[in-house]
Amino acid sequence: MEISQNSDTNYRKFVLPVDSEHKATEFRLFSIATPHMRAFHLSWISFFSCFVSTFAAPPLLPIIRDNLDLTATDIGNAGIAAVSGAVFARVAMGTACDLFGPRLASSSLILLTAPAVYLSAIANSPSAFLMVRFFTGFSLATFVSTQFWMSSMFSPNVVGTANGLSGGWGNLGGGATQLIMPLVYSLIHDNIGSTKFTAWRIAFFIPAFFQTLSAYAIFFLGQDMPDGNYVRLEKSGEKHKDSFSQVFYHAITNYRGWILALTYGYCFGVELTIDNIIAQYFYDRFNVNLHTAGIIAASFGLANLFSRPGGGILSDLVAKRFGMRGRLWTLWVVQMIGGLLCLLLGKIGSLSGSVAVMLVFSVFVQAACGLTFGVVPFVSRRSLGVISGMTGGGGNVGAVLTQVIFFRGSRYSTEEGISLMGVMIMCCTLVILFIYFPQWGGLFCGPKKGVTEEDYYLAEWTAAEKEQGFHKMSIKFSENSRRERGKKGASVPVLSDKDTPPTIV
Amino acid sequence: MPQSYHQNHPKQTAFSFVLKAGEDQITVTWRFNQTYSAGTDSDYKTVKVKLCYAPISQKDRSWRKTEDRLKKDKTCPHKIVARPYTTSNNSFTWTVEKDIPSGVYFVRAYALNAQDEEVAYGQNTDVHKVNNLFKIQAITGRHVSLDVASVCFSAFSIVSLAGFFYMEKRK
Repeated sequence: MEISQNSDTNYRKFVLPVDSEHKATEFRLFSIATPHMRAFHLSWISFFSCFVSTFAAPPLLPIIRDNLDLTATDIGNAGIAAVSGAVFARVAMGTACDLFGPRLASSSLILLTAPAVYLSAIANSPSAFLMVRFFTGFSLATFVSTQFWMSSMFSPNVVGTANGLSGGWGNLGGGATQLIMPLVYSLIHDNIGSTKFTAWRIAFFIPAFFQTLSAYAIFFLGQDMPDGNYVRLEKSGEKHKDSFSQVFYHAITNYRGWILALTYGYCFGVELTIDNIIAQYFYDRFNVNLHTAGIIAASFGLANLFSRPGGGILSDLVAKRFGMRGRLWTLWVVQMIGGLLCLLLGKIGSLSGSVAVMLVFSVFVQAACGLTFGVVPFVSRRSLGVISGMTGGGGNVGAVLTQVIFFRGSRYSTEEGISLMGVMIMCCTLVILFIYFPQWGGLFCGPKKGVTEEDYYLAEWTAAEKEQGFHKMSIKFSENSRRERGKKGASVPVLSDKDTPPTIV
Repeated sequence: MPQSYHQNHPKQTAFSFVLKAGEDQITVTWRFNQTYSAGTDSDYKTVKVKLCYAPISQKDRSWRKTEDRLKKDKTCPHKIVARPYTTSNNSFTWTVEKDIPSGVYFVRAYALNAQDEEVAYGQNTDVHKVNNLFKIQAITGRHVSLDVASVCFSAFSIVSLAGFFYMEKRK
């Protein structure tokens, strides 16, 4: 057990080694120590439950569509509705995290969307089905609170890993549900003896209970920051309660947030689209039975166990040597390859070839998601939540766009749609070329001479705010993010005050 | 068609009634169509009577699509009865099962040979599947207990949330 002391009068012991913001500098997967690792486990489990609920309907569709007399159009629209709610919910969640803290923000959202899952059990028409899928889908905004929470608990050197694992293991729910729901349904239908049209309804209570339980766990067992919850920290003056308009302004005026929102739409958005269409693709093109198609669909989502976390870990690894430029390059390369594989997937005519390409494609596209959130925590300190929300929301916009353009109606066959989607991925990924951090550089340009991390992060606060000391956490973050210069940047002069001569570090 | 059969219904007008799944019944009778020469039915061994979707219930539902290759055909997924083949006096009364979805239907009987291959069929509607169709109304699958549980747990979630905010404010 390692004890870390900060130089303030408050004396706190942490199980993990921490930095000056008390964020953990190590990630220990099998620990549940408060507050860092406990926050990790609470966030991925609750996010997992939201994914299970949001994608609980697809594996049971063969029964639901008969019960509710759904047409293919009804099903397609409900699938789009399921991912479109989260577009705005994610931005709202980002704001809520900045203002109220991830603990309250996520437990509130989870409890607010649980009724949609319970009420799925009494849906009686195509429009009711669409509504419950739409509102249940809002719960995917917990992604943002997950990433925000990890960025609050873990230091820059492990933040990619923490974000990648929590995001990836949450996304796992989308694959796991394809196995869980049919299992729960058979237990109810075969063992308890309910009719088909009753059994699927009862089955929905399982994800609903799970979701409610996780909200309780977060509220009672979690805390917002290493030093406590927002409410307490704000009352004691350790944390300043920020203003919504300022937080929002600094997020939407940061062009990097918009670029990442776009590119995330072409890794995560594509992942959601594939979740919705891949089972049908294999069923129709290769004539596998529904059960097999479901297993193939599940394996795409289950790759998240290691591929998204792998992206996050890779991001942290390249950052050690190459800093932020390494993170950006790796993201660009991996997402481009993902697009290429998507193009290829639509062109392959054999079943085994398709499954193989799909699996490799899943690794690259999910790793790109992990790599994206290796960059996001550095775009803004003050508006971390809203930036995370914009990026997350952009992911869902990508899912809506790709489904509407390529997978609706009979304009393109599914395989044509998949290949064209691959082309779109590659085109949209090009914009990463335009991301530039003056203190660290971009893909093709090095950092500006003399610009420091403080210049970048403190620019988010006005002189008046600085006078009142509201910007303290940004100062600490600037120091801690120095490592994003990579090994080369270790000898670059660090200016603590523009008026004093530079000190060589 | 080598075979034909007809159905008995309370009334014959299309859609003036709706059969309720789990409650109402269909009586199917079938016999060999004597206009065909004797011996045509020499290899008929069994008869499988099935409930089939009418075109309107197949619209925008590719999982019910009609395909010429019987192996891939999804028009008639619901089995009513299977019987050994006899030339006449075939009749069966079937209660519409609880898992039959709402839709417009007709009935078809396939004659199979000893290798279980379809060799002939007959149906109660015309070749364009326009006449003599009937409607079935599915069960909802809902129960009062489910409705109550659903609403109660939903309310519980919202009340819990209010409780969380109250507890938080008090801190």
